[in-house]
Amino acid sequence: MTDCGCDKAKRDLEEYLRNEVCSTNSADIREHLEHCASCQEEALLARTLTEAVQRACKETAPEDLKLQVMAKLRAAQATH
Amino acid sequence: MLERGEAATAVVDWPVMSTVDETLPPEPENDPRALFEEQALPFIDQLYGAAMRMTKNPSDAQDLVQETFVKAYAAFGQFTQGTNLKAWLYRILTNTYINIYRKKQREPYQGTIDDLEDWQLGGAESRTASASRSAEAEAIDRMPDSAVKDALQAIPEDFRLAVYLADVEGFAYQEIADIMKSPIGTVMSRLHRGRRMLRDLLADYAQERGIDTGRAGAKK
Repeated sequence: MTDCGCDKAKRDLEEYLRNEVCSTNSADIREHLEHCASCQEEALLARTLTEAVQRACKETAPEDLKLQVMAKLRAAQATH
Repeated sequence: MLERGEAATAVVDWPVMSTVDETLPPEPENDPRALFEEQALPFIDQLYGAAMRMTKNPSDAQDLVQETFVKAYAAFGQFTQGTNLKAWLYRILTNTYINIYRKKQREPYQGTIDDLEDWQLGGAESRTASASRSAEAEAIDRMPDSAVKDALQAIPEDFRLAVYLADVEGFAYQEIADIMKSPIGTVMSRLHRGRRMLRDLLADYAQERGIDTGRAGAKK
């Protein structure tokens, strides 16, 4: 049994979810998560927050901006 | 008939090829910048999104993106093909923003906020009771985009940028450290504290509107 316990799992949860922990730690946390409802909810909350931020920040550059950038690049190309 | 056809083709081919040679533009490989449009332009939506979170308004965001593309184009010869172009563009965007716009906005220096490392003492953990975390997750899931954006705008800039680069763009910690020119530990601290602040702001927003976040009585 390599269950690392809630303290370690919660401390490293964000790093775990972002694949930023080493494989040993990752395996420990994964195993803990499988058996701990409380940490599973914490993980769900963390993922939900990430998804909410992703959703809210989705932007499309205005067409005007694309045209202006293209024009600037063309102008820069012409000077070389 | 067949033999004659082959011979004719061989004869005809040569003049055609030499004509093509004369009219072809220079090979793209000769100038790396010829690849720039094709490779860099597809990132314009993402760069604009980041610029919006930085400058907080569409007009400055557009200027910032234009400036970024002009600088990136001029420096494209220094970009190593095969490395991460998106991270490279974000470095230029962030540099440009810090050099031009942050000075203009005169935001107060935020270094003192970084010095506090309270997330290591458990600040990143939920303050809510275990049973109500699912309620908080549900409230966040239903949060209107405008509320999430407002909350993001309300947290200190370096924290906001760390959250944006990690959560929206999916950059690794090391890439964010390179983009923000900060140690990786600082990036982690900003990310944890920024997300902690976001959660608190979103919980406040939900509570003001009478949405159950499972946090009643848990605050303070």
